[in-house]
Amino acid sequence: MMNNRKTSVFDGILGDNMVLSSLMVISPVIICGDTLKNAEALSYAFSSITILSMLIGSFVPKKLPYTVKIIFYALISSLVFIPVKVATHEFYRGAIDRIGIYFPLLAVNSLIVLQSEAKFFRMPRTKMFFSLLFYVVGFDIVMLLTGFIRELFAYGTINGRVADVDMPVFGLSQPFGGFIFLGLMCGAYRWIRKLLTREKKEIRSVDNVSDK
Amino acid sequence: MVRSFRKERLVWIDLMITLLVLELMSYFYYGARSLVLAGVCVCFSAAAEIICLRLMKRKFTADDLTCTSDALVIALMMSPVIDFRIAAIASVFAVIAAKNVFGGRRNMIFSPAAAAYVFVLTSWGRKLLLYPEPHTKTGIFSDPDGLVSSASYVYNTTGKVDHTDFELLLGNFSGPAGAVSILLLIVAAVMLIFRRNISAGAFLGSVLGTALFAAVTPVAGTRSESVKYNLMMNMVLFASIYIVADRRIAPRREYFAFFYGLFIGVFSYILVLTKALENAIVIVSVLFTPAALAFKNLEKKIDTADAAPIPAETQEPPVQEETVPDKQEISDEDVVNKMIEELSESNDAPEEGEDNNDE
Repeated sequence: MMNNRKTSVFDGILGDNMVLSSLMVISPVIICGDTLKNAEALSYAFSSITILSMLIGSFVPKKLPYTVKIIFYALISSLVFIPVKVATHEFYRGAIDRIGIYFPLLAVNSLIVLQSEAKFFRMPRTKMFFSLLFYVVGFDIVMLLTGFIRELFAYGTINGRVADVDMPVFGLSQPFGGFIFLGLMCGAYRWIRKLLTREKKEIRSVDNVSDK
Repeated sequence: MVRSFRKERLVWIDLMITLLVLELMSYFYYGARSLVLAGVCVCFSAAAEIICLRLMKRKFTADDLTCTSDALVIALMMSPVIDFRIAAIASVFAVIAAKNVFGGRRNMIFSPAAAAYVFVLTSWGRKLLLYPEPHTKTGIFSDPDGLVSSASYVYNTTGKVDHTDFELLLGNFSGPAGAVSILLLIVAAVMLIFRRNISAGAFLGSVLGTALFAAVTPVAGTRSESVKYNLMMNMVLFASIYIVADRRIAPRREYFAFFYGLFIGVFSYILVLTKALENAIVIVSVLFTPAALAFKNLEKKIDTADAAPIPAETQEPPVQEETVPDKQEISDEDVVNKMIEELSESNDAPEEGEDNNDE
């Protein structure tokens, strides 16, 4: 069952990564993912808001009209946003100012507003939780990796500490650098996914032959 | 198809000839370091192209050598004493991020050289915009000293040019290695236009746009001086030839290409005038990529519309000739007319049916 890509709960990390495959929530990754500190703050905020909102949102009656349900989800995520913002202010000082408008926009991200109804709330609650968890982990991995690499090459630092980089490429810290970097990551991701899919197919074909 | 391949190769040869002449002039002013810089750009560009094509499972053909002309354009837009690593990164960036990521030389969106220049400008702008004085020979591996701002920067900020017209024509002033030899650039432009290697419309549009606005709202001095200096400074001529008028990017029809170039010329002049932005034309040419794409889409639509058969009602009545046409002509016309009649009948049929149902 887990091998079936459509129903696997691990899809969120590699099979159907929300950033690299579906290009969802890419603006914070491109604009604010230029340092590891920003990436940590964004990952924390995104994970908390999305998981809590979706878990609470799963209790909204399914009989309600679609529009009303979406409004409820947005309201729930806005309410969840308040304590998350306070906590982020405590844990990551100055991060909210650096991230700017993209921080509150996390409360109405496409995973909560669109994918909740289209995908997650159609699953049993336990499976939904794990699937959602892996989607969020998939986002966090991409965010942290982007923040780490862009900070290292753009500023020559790792989490604010000076690293031994001779020639920082400042262009990588700019939004256009983020776009290019994300584009290259998407290409690499698809290449890896293709390789893995091919390997799986080869294994299956070998199994079929051996069965016969 | 074969003809277009040959054409691409011939364009590359012509471009390379003009670029190598500019490189020779750069060698005359700045010594062997400028040649090594060009060599580094070409080698890294070719290596990146080969790797990219291998990854895409394509063969490296003579047409793919266009990456070397792009590399030379990059080298000539830079300071001749720039760090070789920056030049190498720029060349690799041009091939990978600005060209092959979008599908290679058949699907180019940006001019690779312009995109690489903007990338270097945002990353190492200070190193890029400091130049040695002409006739200052820097060792290949020695650190450059006594670097100065370009004459374009001085003109943009103060409105003054401390060089004679003769010096300006020969390129005897500080600036990018290849973009200062004005006389050679004029010759190159004429040659490339007459051999149809660059888009004449885009080139003229860009130059006229800059000249027009320089005359209407001069940066400093008289109108004629403003026109003269604005065409010579800020890489206007160089970028108009090798970036704006690049046949791979500019619209195919000269009429559209003229307006594409005109917009670039006007907007880059506005940036120079208001922000004193050095070499603004390169940045604007990258930003105006959507305009080029829009013009190309429009061209495709026009081509499609031209190729589509004209409806029977709008067709002009055929001129009745006394002589009997050939057998072949009769059969072709008959077939077309029959098809048009059938189409019009099939279009009319449902409406009649609907009318009947309504009744």
